Amino acid sequence: MATIAAADVRKLVVACDAGMGSSVMLASSVRKQLKGTPIEVEHTPVDHIPHDADVIICHAGLADRARSVVPGRVVVPFQLFIGDPAVTRVVNALKTGGTIDG
Amino acid sequence: MATTYIPTVQGTGVKATIQRIGGHLAGMVMPNIGAFIAWGLITALFIPDGWIPNEKYAALVGPIITYLLPILIGYTGGRLVHGQRGAVIGAVATMGVVVGSDVPMFLGAMIMGPLAAFLLKQIDDRIQDRIREGFEMLVDNFTLGILGAALAVFGVWGVGPVIDNVTNWFGDRVENLVDNHVIPLASIIIEPAKILFLNNAINHGVLGPLGAAEAADKGKSILFMLETNPGPGLGILLAYFLFGPKSLRPTVPAAIIIQFLGGIHEIYFPYVLMKPRLILAAIAGGMSGVAVFEVTGAGLVATPSPGSIFAYLAETPKGGYFGVLAGVIISCAVSMAVASALLGFGRSEQEEEEASDEELAEAQERSRQQKAESKLDAPAAS
Repeated sequence: MATIAAADVRKLVVACDAGMGSSVMLASSVRKQLKGTPIEVEHTPVDHIPHDADVIICHAGLADRARSVVPGRVVVPFQLFIGDPAVTRVVNALKTGGTIDG
Repeated sequence: MATTYIPTVQGTGVKATIQRIGGHLAGMVMPNIGAFIAWGLITALFIPDGWIPNEKYAALVGPIITYLLPILIGYTGGRLVHGQRGAVIGAVATMGVVVGSDVPMFLGAMIMGPLAAFLLKQIDDRIQDRIREGFEMLVDNFTLGILGAALAVFGVWGVGPVIDNVTNWFGDRVENLVDNHVIPLASIIIEPAKILFLNNAINHGVLGPLGAAEAADKGKSILFMLETNPGPGLGILLAYFLFGPKSLRPTVPAAIIIQFLGGIHEIYFPYVLMKPRLILAAIAGGMSGVAVFEVTGAGLVATPSPGSIFAYLAETPKGGYFGVLAGVIISCAVSMAVASALLGFGRSEQEEEEASDEELAEAQERSRQQKAESKLDAPAAS
């Protein structure tokens, strides 16, 4: 399992199948929550996750694909598009420090 | 990269592979949906049966679907494989199949675009180091030009006519399905596939291009509505709101707005994945919706994407509102009724609650295992 210290995170990518629908929605909500931090939040198709992404958030159904695109990176799968505890944990860790596993 | 990834023979590996292949198909079409919608709106407005028939503007309809849309797909398909150079040669090669056939060449574009880009990439990779300084631009432009010309001619001569037949064959099969009133059965495959995040692959990779070919012929197509109907998802969410686990109910109204009005269907997939038996509700809703669309002769003029009720209304041809709305409403009612029954109408609320806790723990355990497995698949991950 890959781990990264929250302080080292520069770029967080929210990925979905097409990179046009659900990832855009979740990315904009995460971006709002991370306002004031220097972290860049992007949304991309799961097959085109950039290699400088430090943390990748995507639905559990797409996590295998995300891991195959950027092996070794922290991929955090979630279940719910609204109010998922896994996403909340990532946001909290990024705001208050700590580590992110995935 | 993908080369270090060995798909497991069963389970999620196969799913990921299908998702990826479908994703490539959808990836060629989805960035261009705006152009499809532009075409759909022009068609709905200006053709002789349209809202404001106008011969002059209707002249746009043919060239857009014959040339612009397939070339955009070929261009995008080429770009996915080999960047800007791939995009350009993809467009050139697509022109060959377009001219070499009589039907809208979406399938041909989805083959020729990436194929041309792949061939160019092979050539580029091989000669890159051998080009004498100062000759890069000359060589780059002429490799693309010569290969592009050859592929375009090859497309007119060989590929276009073959794909012509294949497209017609698919079109005939679909027509048979509609004529024999078995098209609602498609929901048995489509609804479960959606929940597994194959929604874009199915709709934009397969149904959309076939639908566009049909719409070019008849002005509308039911194929656009098989996957995109927002009714079944809305029904499931409403059932969840009334009878689902208490802890999840507060999230449902926001999900309804995002799904039904915003058209992002992914939002309801997790609710089905949490209680997999609800897939029966999605199938029942989907089938009844398609049946109503079929009986009323409903169709849309272009892919409603995202699958929002607003996109549905905007792309309904003149005089087609009754069938479209009836199908959406009935599919919603059916999936809500079935989902409510499957949720026990909230009667077994207490048990459900415990069960859902267990399910959550199980799901977490499963995802931990999957994580471990995927590490085995990709040793570089550790």
